[in-house]
Amino acid sequence: MREKSNESSGKSAIGVLVFLAGFAVALIFGWVVFPELLYSQKSQPVNFSHALPDHQGAGCEDCHAFREDGSYTGIPKIAKCQECHESPMTESPDEKVLLEEYIQKEKEIPWLVYAYQPDNVHFSHAPHKAKGVECVQCHRDVANEQKNPPFRENRLTGYSKSTMKMDVCEKCHAEQMASNNCEICHK
Amino acid sequence: MSFSRRAFLFTAGAIGGTLFTPLPWKLVDDSAIWSQNWRWRPSPQRGEITKAPSICTLCDGGCGIQARLVDNKRAILIEGTPSHPVNRGGVCALGAAGLQFVYASYRISQPLKQTKKRGETAGFQPVSWDEALKEIGGKLNRLHTENRANSLAGIISNRPSSMADLWTQFFKSCGSPNLFRMPDHSDSLVLASSLMTGRASAPVFALERASYVLSFGASLLEGRDSFPRNQSAYAQWRQQGSGKLIQIESHCSLTAAKADRWIAAAPGSEAALALAIAHVLIKEKAYDADFMSNAVFGFEDWADVQGKARKGFKSYVLEACAPEQMAGITGVDPAMIREIAKEFATHKNALVIWGSGSASHPNNIYHDLAFMALNILKGNFKADGLMMIQPAIPLAPMPEVQLDAGAQSSLQKPRLDLAQAKNTLMAGNAVYPFLDAVVKGGIYPIEMLWVDECNPAHSLLEPQIFETALTKISTLVSFSSYMDETAQMADWILPAPTALERYDDVMGIPGAPFAYYAISAPVLPAPAGNRHAGDVVLSLAKAVGGNVQGSLPWPDFQSFLKARVAGLAESAKGAVAESADIQLGKLKPGESPKTNFTSGDKLWEKLVAGACWYDAPVDPMMSLATTSGKVELACQKLQATGLDAAQDTIYLPHYAPLAPSGSETEFPLLLVGYETQILSIQYLPNPPFLTKMLPDTLLKGNDLLVQVHPKTAQPLGLNEGDQAKIKTPQGELSVRVHLTPGSRPGVVYAAQGLGHEAYDEFIKGKGVNVNRITEVQLDPVTGLGTTWATRAQLVRA
Repeated sequence: MREKSNESSGKSAIGVLVFLAGFAVALIFGWVVFPELLYSQKSQPVNFSHALPDHQGAGCEDCHAFREDGSYTGIPKIAKCQECHESPMTESPDEKVLLEEYIQKEKEIPWLVYAYQPDNVHFSHAPHKAKGVECVQCHRDVANEQKNPPFRENRLTGYSKSTMKMDVCEKCHAEQMASNNCEICHK
Repeated sequence: MSFSRRAFLFTAGAIGGTLFTPLPWKLVDDSAIWSQNWRWRPSPQRGEITKAPSICTLCDGGCGIQARLVDNKRAILIEGTPSHPVNRGGVCALGAAGLQFVYASYRISQPLKQTKKRGETAGFQPVSWDEALKEIGGKLNRLHTENRANSLAGIISNRPSSMADLWTQFFKSCGSPNLFRMPDHSDSLVLASSLMTGRASAPVFALERASYVLSFGASLLEGRDSFPRNQSAYAQWRQQGSGKLIQIESHCSLTAAKADRWIAAAPGSEAALALAIAHVLIKEKAYDADFMSNAVFGFEDWADVQGKARKGFKSYVLEACAPEQMAGITGVDPAMIREIAKEFATHKNALVIWGSGSASHPNNIYHDLAFMALNILKGNFKADGLMMIQPAIPLAPMPEVQLDAGAQSSLQKPRLDLAQAKNTLMAGNAVYPFLDAVVKGGIYPIEMLWVDECNPAHSLLEPQIFETALTKISTLVSFSSYMDETAQMADWILPAPTALERYDDVMGIPGAPFAYYAISAPVLPAPAGNRHAGDVVLSLAKAVGGNVQGSLPWPDFQSFLKARVAGLAESAKGAVAESADIQLGKLKPGESPKTNFTSGDKLWEKLVAGACWYDAPVDPMMSLATTSGKVELACQKLQATGLDAAQDTIYLPHYAPLAPSGSETEFPLLLVGYETQILSIQYLPNPPFLTKMLPDTLLKGNDLLVQVHPKTAQPLGLNEGDQAKIKTPQGELSVRVHLTPGSRPGVVYAAQGLGHEAYDEFIKGKGVNVNRITEVQLDPVTGLGTTWATRAQLVRA
């Protein structure tokens, strides 16, 4: 009887170990491997350094402006780059790409936008700006950024990893006593 | 394969562990985002949103529209302009779907030359504009220098515009009399009006001032004339209780269903009913006696130029048009006719309107005259009456055509149809007699046919005649932007930009009494491979040179339009409507607005920004040009054309139906085509947005359903949705039947506008083209192709 009991407790211990091994593998896969698999890594077509003194205006809105109707212009068009980069200003390879691939070919730069919301979300910058929300409360601080971070695209949805999720929107809306009704964002 | 205990425990551990990682929760969330944002669904481009104003030219309704653009390059929405006084922000279904024509797979991006047999789409080879213009210009030059320009013919859109005037100028200066427009109700209305008033301007109606509208089959709410204008007038009648609409139509159309009263008279008998109502008015002395005695000729008996005593309208109507005499024809109870006549007489602002469908074909001229006569009895031609004639737009006139000797000699040859049909009394826009003359071999051949902004191979009634005529014509040139049925048969295609990519203008709104002019400015740039037909015409004129070039002196179409607008400004008449509050429809003759532009350039600026020019209606009595100086109910002009008939009725509005061909025993039913507000029937095909809205009782899958009364279907053994064959002397088509008490027993109703054999998978093969089995009958007076019904047989398939 005793021997049998020992044998059985040994088996249970191994069983628990095997279970925990499975548990651990899943944790590693879920927390480490899966995010790597889910997001592809892409670089911007041209590296844009916000940190360059010539690229730093009086503030974000110098380039990321609002139109007269209150709509937001987003990333400037190639015409804005062209205002200064009609001809080479530096020896930077990034500027070479900008000039040769885009300005001379009159093509817009296909920027990979980190913050685009999905099409089923209506987001307007204007009311947030009116409420005094600072750009860096939602976007990364680019003031000293020399190299654009890689764009991590969700292979399933096609959106950026840094796209703001609905819970973040809702939390802030709740704190600011703004409406969280569905049709506020899903029109 | 065995699954060991350890493997089981490992898997269980892994499953448990997974629940403590983001994996399942993230996948669920992302799947939701993925399923709501599939990348292959259409999604507007991101960018700066702007609005560009224009005027819609998809029909001749003259609506103000604005296109919503992304980065000024991609149009994503068409909506009505709120400040435009015609549509006040409204837009019809076709206008709203207009972008489907811009971004269509069946657009033609560059000139094409047919290198194989006609009709083989694979035979089209792209060519450069220079090559195309050189070859076509060469053919034209040859005809011109050999004094044979009369062998050039053209069929163009029936929309009144400066482009139509440019075509007329070009054909005349080349020396060709053979230019035709697609058939339209205005063709017969203009001739009827010229008989009664001496002016070749169609009658127009102040719907907005009417309190009682007697509509003889006019499809007010199905898109006839200006759809938003009709809708606003109807809304005003309903919301303010200010108007009553009586629809006389053989089946329950949308207008009939929404009317205050629907009288289901037999198809084609509407004019008989109008004359019966006239009889009651005359008999009861409930007509405008002062107007009839002072301003109308031929109401009483009259004497013709030879001094022969002729019966007047009054005697004819009293003798031959009593409700009891007309009851058998119309199928309407005489008591009901009297009741309607009484109501019509009692209402001060009662108006008669008429025309089948959306006015896409001419009417029997005597019937047009009969409806006009009923309005005249009511005194509607007086200065404050509700019927007027279409005002002319004081644009810069076209310069006088300078003819060289060759053009003069070819213009001396008569128009092909007139040389053939010597009995035609009035030379109208006789497309069918022309095609008939081509088929039968006229006094001279037609070597080249140019087709602009129309698709006769599909939208003509009996399009087979066009196809047969083509076999006798060596070169067909299409100016279409799309690979439509006509373009498919062309030898050359010179594609124009679509309506939203070019300059055009709108000259008057059909049926509207006020004067109207607008410029349709492009909201999108024209693709490099497309050229405006106006620019092509001007280039060809330059290529021919001499007097042809001299008669068309403008460098491009836009300059030509600017010159016309400069003339409008010089006239110092009318004003630019700058607000939607201007009640155009309520304007009366003499109520001209104060001019609010100072020069041609200023007027042009306002017009290209989407505003419209308008002016008050004209008093029809002030512009009469008849022999008697009065409105002529007895049309003396008919006698002047050489008609000396024994019967007095020949000169009077009377009921003169043309009997459909075929035997009644073989074809016991009547086929009547109808139109709906969600089916485009003319140049443009039905865009998929509209086709999606067609009910299952009209189009199911690819099958067209014809409307039949249950009493008609029962003896034929037909149940709802059954497959059937409809046969007429013109041919047969496979359809399905929809049984509805809204149709008249003995009549089969089929929707027009379907059955395309060109375009793309969303248009091609949807339903059948009922035009192919519809009979066209030539009006004996005008030679115009009319239709009211075709004898038919319906059998179970």
